[in-house]
Amino acid sequence: RRVFEPESLLNNYSPTIQEEEFKWLLQEEVHAVLKQLQDILKEASHRFALSVGGSEAAVKQENFMLGSSSTDQVKGVLTLQGDALCQADINMKMPRNNQLLHFAFREDKQWKLQQIQDARNHVNQAIYLLTNRDVDYQFKTGSEVLKLMDAVMLQLTRARNRLTTPATLTLPEIASSGLTKMFTPALPSDILVNFYINLNKLCLTVYQLHALQPNSTKHFRPAGGSILHNPGAMFEFGSQRYEVSHVHKVECVVPWLNDALVFFTVSLQLCQQLKDKISVFSGYWNYRPY
Amino acid sequence: MKISVQAVALWGKRAPSHSITAIMVTEDQQTIVTGSQEGQICLWNLSSELKISSREILFGHTASVTCLAKARDFEKQPYVVSATENGEMCVWNVTSGQCIENAKLPYRHTAISYYHCSFRMTGDGWLLCCGEYQDVLIIDAKTLAVLHTLISTQSSDWINCMCIVHSTRIQEDSLVAVSITGDLKVWDLSSSVSSIQERQSVYENESKSLDCTNCRAVRFCTYTERLLLVVFSYCWKVYDYCDFSLLCTEFSQRGQCFAGGEVLAAYRLIIWTEDGHSYIYQLLNRWAQMGNSHKKYSGLSKSIYPTDGKVLKETVYPHLLCSTDVKEYKSFPFIMGFMNERKEPFYKILFAGEASGRITIWHIPDVPVSTLDGSPKEIPVAAAWTLQDSFDKHQSMSEGIIDHLCASKDGTESAAVISSVYIPNLDKLVCGCEDGKIFITLALHAAKARLLENISLLKHTLPHKILKGHSCSVTCLLYPYSKSVRFDPSWLVSGGQDSCVIWWDIFTEEILHQFTLQAGPVMNLLLSPECYQLKDHRIVCSVCSDHSVALLHLQERMCLLHARKHLFPVKMIKFHPVENLLVVGCEDDSVYIWEIETGTLERHETGEMAKAILTSFEDSHCLVMDSILPVSQNSQRHKNAAYKSSSSYKLGALSCNLPHAEKSSDKVTGTIHVQWPFTILPVKTKWNNVSFHVLLFDLEKLVELLLSSQLNGLKSSNSFHSYDTLKRAKSTAEKRTLTLKRNKTSGCLSPMDGQVNTIFTNQVHRDNNAARSLEESGGIKRQKKLKSSKKIRMQPSGKIDANITTDTAKLLLSCLLPWGVDKELDNLCVRYLDILRLQCPVSFGLVSNENHISLMLPGWNSAHCGVLEEHTLINLVSRKVLDLSNRYTTAAQGQIEKKNGLENDVEGTQISQTIFSLLRKVALVNKIVDMPFELTNGIDSSQKLEFIRNRWRNTEIFSPSFHSFYGESSNYKSGSRFPDPGNISLVKLISCWREQSVKIIETIQAVLLAEVQRSMKTLKKTSIISQPVAMVENGNGEMSTLPKIEQTEQTELQYIKNIPLATPVSVVKHDSCSNSANFQEVEDMPDRCVLEESESPDEMKSHPWMSKVCSCKVC
Repeated sequence: RRVFEPESLLNNYSPTIQEEEFKWLLQEEVHAVLKQLQDILKEASHRFALSVGGSEAAVKQENFMLGSSSTDQVKGVLTLQGDALCQADINMKMPRNNQLLHFAFREDKQWKLQQIQDARNHVNQAIYLLTNRDVDYQFKTGSEVLKLMDAVMLQLTRARNRLTTPATLTLPEIASSGLTKMFTPALPSDILVNFYINLNKLCLTVYQLHALQPNSTKHFRPAGGSILHNPGAMFEFGSQRYEVSHVHKVECVVPWLNDALVFFTVSLQLCQQLKDKISVFSGYWNYRPY
Repeated sequence: MKISVQAVALWGKRAPSHSITAIMVTEDQQTIVTGSQEGQICLWNLSSELKISSREILFGHTASVTCLAKARDFEKQPYVVSATENGEMCVWNVTSGQCIENAKLPYRHTAISYYHCSFRMTGDGWLLCCGEYQDVLIIDAKTLAVLHTLISTQSSDWINCMCIVHSTRIQEDSLVAVSITGDLKVWDLSSSVSSIQERQSVYENESKSLDCTNCRAVRFCTYTERLLLVVFSYCWKVYDYCDFSLLCTEFSQRGQCFAGGEVLAAYRLIIWTEDGHSYIYQLLNRWAQMGNSHKKYSGLSKSIYPTDGKVLKETVYPHLLCSTDVKEYKSFPFIMGFMNERKEPFYKILFAGEASGRITIWHIPDVPVSTLDGSPKEIPVAAAWTLQDSFDKHQSMSEGIIDHLCASKDGTESAAVISSVYIPNLDKLVCGCEDGKIFITLALHAAKARLLENISLLKHTLPHKILKGHSCSVTCLLYPYSKSVRFDPSWLVSGGQDSCVIWWDIFTEEILHQFTLQAGPVMNLLLSPECYQLKDHRIVCSVCSDHSVALLHLQERMCLLHARKHLFPVKMIKFHPVENLLVVGCEDDSVYIWEIETGTLERHETGEMAKAILTSFEDSHCLVMDSILPVSQNSQRHKNAAYKSSSSYKLGALSCNLPHAEKSSDKVTGTIHVQWPFTILPVKTKWNNVSFHVLLFDLEKLVELLLSSQLNGLKSSNSFHSYDTLKRAKSTAEKRTLTLKRNKTSGCLSPMDGQVNTIFTNQVHRDNNAARSLEESGGIKRQKKLKSSKKIRMQPSGKIDANITTDTAKLLLSCLLPWGVDKELDNLCVRYLDILRLQCPVSFGLVSNENHISLMLPGWNSAHCGVLEEHTLINLVSRKVLDLSNRYTTAAQGQIEKKNGLENDVEGTQISQTIFSLLRKVALVNKIVDMPFELTNGIDSSQKLEFIRNRWRNTEIFSPSFHSFYGESSNYKSGSRFPDPGNISLVKLISCWREQSVKIIETIQAVLLAEVQRSMKTLKKTSIISQPVAMVENGNGEMSTLPKIEQTEQTELQYIKNIPLATPVSVVKHDSCSNSANFQEVEDMPDRCVLEESESPDEMKSHPWMSKVCSCKVC
C-alpha cells in the first residue's frame, strides 16, 4: 500500500526549492485563497441583506408559511425582513374546545432575530479582517497568515454556531421576553410563544400553559433552560406557577440561511486548508524570520 | 486558598510571541500595557526619557485579548482590566502584576470605558462595556458582575465604539456610542445612576443614523465642548454635539483604512490608520478663510442652498499639519492610541502596537506645526521596542536552562529547545531541541548551573545524556510514567518534525522502537485512559499536523490505528472501551468514530448529532486536548494544571477531589508532586514555538522538609523515621495504596488537633506510627519479592530528598537575596550560608491564584538601575527594598534580643539552621501578604493573631501528620505561630506595607535582607569567638571565599570520579539490610548535611544516575 506523502517528498527538497515554494505560497497562493474567501464571504453577507445606511426599504420582505408534518394545530405566515420579523400572522386551534385563535404582530412592532443579526455581524467582521490584505499587501511570515486565518475562522465559527445553536431559554425568560406584548389581539395569558433559528429553519414554538393551584399537591420543580420545553415543564412567573400542557412547534425553511451555512462551511474549510498548506513549511518559517 | 509558591522564570534566547491586539498607556505614563492574540498581557516600563523596556508578562487568559482599559481611579489603585475573545475578564494591578479579580462572562467585549461618579455612586465604579452583543453592559469594576444594561429602543445592534462625554457646560455625563450599522446613540449616565442601581430600564435619549458603517472611534472634544469626532474606516466626520449636524467629512486615500482618532486640542485632531500612519489636522473655518469675501458669499450661499442644510453646515475643513509613519518592516494591523496630557512632566504620546509585537511611540509636540512651505511635517519616532530586543539586550537573563549544554557541544549558537518535560520522581529535565537531539539533565543542577555564578566548572560537568534519533526538531515529549504507573519509569516517548515517534529507554539511552508515521510533524502525544482494557493498554496516542491520530502500541511495536480522514485539527479524543471505538472530535465540531480493531471509519457526524455523540461518551474515558497546537494556545492552561497539582501540596488528600485537577493525567501525578518542593514547569508559547521554563519553589513544603531534616538531626525520633520511610515508599509502586492509608490515618488524627493535648496526640500518633510501620514493613515485604534492584532505585530517591531540600533551599535563597547591596554582606552570605551569588538578575514570578501568574521579563531591572549601577546592584527588585529593609530592622530591633538564641544554640547545624530560619521568615511573609485584606485590616491585633492561628490550624488539618512532628518542636511552634509578641509588630509592619501596595517580592527581599544582615552579624561574632569550630565545620581551613570555591569544585570533581565507586557502596548497604538499614540511613543523613557543607558533591553521589546500575525492565 503506497500512500502519497508530501512530507517525505519535502524532506528531499533542497532548502532553496523549499524557500522558493514558500515564497510562492506567501506571495501568490495566499492572495488567491484570500480573494476566493472574500468572494464567498461577500456572497454570504449579501444573503443577510445588510442595508447600508440603514434605509429599511432596501431590504426586501419575504413571506414564509409555517408548517409541521406532525400537527396542524398551529399555522401561520411570517414576514422576514433582514434580521427582523416584521409581520406574523398566527392561527391556532385550541385542542380543548377547537376554538380558533388568531393573532398577529402589532403594526408598530418588529421582532429582531438576534441570531441572524449576530451571524450577519460576525460575517462582516470576518470580511473586515480580510480587507487591507489585498494583492498589494505582502505577507512576510507564515505565522502572520495563521494568525489572520485564526481570527477569520473564529468569526466564521461563531457566525455558524449562532445559527446552529439557538439560545437555551428558561420559561420565565420566554414569558418576560417582550414577545408576548407584540401581538394584537393580545396573547391570552396561558400562551407563550418563542421564535428562533435552528440551522436553516425559522421556528415558532407555542406553549400552552395551565396555571397550577397554589395548594396543588403536585411536586413543583422549575424547568431549566432549554431550546424546546416539553409538556410538563413547570415554572413560576409573576408569583403564579404554571405547567406546560401542550407544545406546538412549527417551522419553515429559509433558503438563504441554508446558503449562508454552506458558505460558512466552505470558507471554514478554505481557511483550514490554507493553514495546513502554511504548516507544511512550519519547520521552515518557524525558525527563520524571513 | 493561595499557594506559597515562589516562581522563577528561565527564558530562552527567543522571546515568546506577542502579537499585540490591545494597547494602552497608564495615566502616570510609566507603564505601557499590551494585550496579545496569544492571550498574555505585557507590562512595559516607559521612562521619563520615553525609553521602553519590557517589565513583566502576565499569564492567565486562555484566548486572544480584545481590549484593555483602566479599572479604577488610577491614582488610587493602579488597576487595569482586560477582556478576551472567550469572555474572560481580569483586573490586574499593573505595578505588582497581581491578578486582583477575574471572571468569565458569556459576553465578548471589544471596548471598555471606566466610569465613576463619586458623588452619586458608592463602590469602585462601573465598567461600561460594548462588544458582540446588543447595546451596552454595565459591569461592576470590583466584582466584575453584570449590574445592568443600557437598552436602545431603535435599531438595537452591536455597539462598535463609544466614549464618555463629560462636560462642565452640559452638566451631564453621557455615553455616546455608535452601533455597527452606524447609528449614533446617546445615553445619560449621571442622571440615570440611581435608576441603574435600582435596575430600571434605561433607554437612549438620542438615536441618529450616521449613514456610514464600520465606525472605529468616537471622541468628544473637551476643549470646545461642542465637536464630536467620529472615525469610520473609510472617512472621518466631525459633528456638532448640540444638534448632531455634520460639520466636516474627510475620506481616506485609496486603500487606506482609518483605525481611530483623538482630539488634540480645540479644532485640532489626530487620525490614525490601520497601516500605522497618523495625521494631525487643523480644522479651519471655511468662511473665515475667505476673509472679506465671507460676508458677501455667505449671504449668497444661503440663498443658493437654502434647503440643503448639509452643504451649508459643513463650515469647517481640515488642513493637514503633521504626519507620522513607521518606516521599516510593518506587520498589520497596527493598534494605536493617543494619550493627551497637558500638565508637565507628561507628554502627548501617540503609541502603536503591531502584530509582530513591536511597540512604537511618537512624542507629539504641544503645538504641531507644518513645515515652512506649508507641506505636512513628519514627526519622528521617539522609541520602538520589541520583546526580542529586550531578550537580545539582556542576554545573560535570557539564557535558556540548558543553553550552555548545547553550546558547549559544538561551539556554535545553541539549538533552541522546542519541547521539554520534567520528570518529578527522578528530578530530571528532558529537553528536545530543534536539531533533533534530546538532552536529559538533572533539573535542580541545570537550574543551578544556569542561575549561579562561579560554577562554570559545574556547567561543564553537568551530567547529561543526549539521545540522538530524530533528524529534525523534537516537537513533543511524553514521559508516560508520570501520568500513569502502568508504564515503565525508564520509558520516554518523543515525537518529531520528521513525523517519527521514538520510544526510548532513558537509562540505557537505547531506542526501543521508532514509529514512522508519515503524517507531518507530530503535534502531540497522549496516553490512553487508565481503564482502557485493550491489549495490555500501554498505548500512546499521537496527533500529527495532518490532523491524523495514530494509536501506537509500545510493546508490540506497532501502530494499531492511523485515523487520517480528519479535515480539521483534533480537539478531543475519547475511547469507548466496550465497543473498542475511538471517538475523535474536531475543531469544526464534527465527530469521527473509528473502529480500532479494523481501522475503519464507522461514522462521521456534524452538528447536533456530533454534539450528542460527544456528550454521550462523556462517561467513557477521554483525553481532552485543549488545543491541538501544542504550541499551546494556552500555555497557561498547562500552568493551571500544574498549579492545581501544586496546590495539592497543601490540600493533600483533597487534591483528587479538585474538579479540574489534571484533566488528561491520572491521579498519581498529584502524589508524585507532593514530594517535591521544587518543580520545573516547561511552557510553550503559541506561534513561534518558543519554550521556556518556570522553576517553582513550594515554600511551605520546603520549610516542612527542612524542619524534618533538622529534627532528625536533633533527635532521631522514631516517628520521624517512619515518616521518612513512608515518604520514600511513596515513590515506589506501592505509592497509591500507602498514601490512601496515610490519608486515612491522618483523617482520624485531625479532630485531635483541635484539642491541644500534646501528649495525648503524641501517643495517638505513636500508635499510628506503629500501625504505619506495620504497613510499611508489609510494603517492604512486597518489594522484596521484586527484584532487588528496584529497592535500590527507591533508596536513593529517599536520600536525595534531604539533599535536594537543602540544595533547593539554597538555590531559592540565592534567587531571592538582593545581591550587590553590600559587598561584604554578599561575601558573608557566600561563606556562612554556603550559597552562591547569582550570575544575573532573576526573573521572578508572582502567582496570584491558581490560574494567574506574572513573570518578570529580561530587562525588568533596567528601569530601576542605571547602566553604571547594573554591575553592582544585581538582583534588587527596586530601591524601595533598601528603605523597607531598614524599617524592618528597626521594627524588629526589640525582638532580636529575645530571639537570637536560635542561631547560637546549635553550632553544629548552623548553616542549615540559618537557612531554615531565613526561609521560614520568607514563608511567613508570604503568608501575611496572602491574607485577605479585611482580616489584616482588623485593628485589633489580638483578632489578627487569632486569625493567624486559625489559619495555621487550618493548614494543619490538611497536613495533620506534619503537625504531630511540629508538636514536638517547641522551636518551630514559637517561630511560626506567633505567640511571640515580637512577631506581631512585624506582621503589622508587613500588612501595612501591603496596603501601600508594596510588591510581595519587595517585601520578601526587604525582610530577607534585614534578616541576613542580622544573622550575619551574629554569625560574625560567634565565628570570632569560636573560629576553630567554624573552620572545622566548613571542612576547609581557608576563610576566604575564592579558595573555598575552588575547594568545592575539587571535591566535586572528586565526587564525579567517585560516582561509580559510591554507587556500589550503597547498593551493598541496601541489599544487606532491610527495614532497619533504612532507619540508619535516614539517621545518617542530616549529619552528613552538616559535615559536608558543599552541597553539590553529596547530591551528585546520591543522584539516581546510579539507577543506571539497576536499569531493570521489570518495574
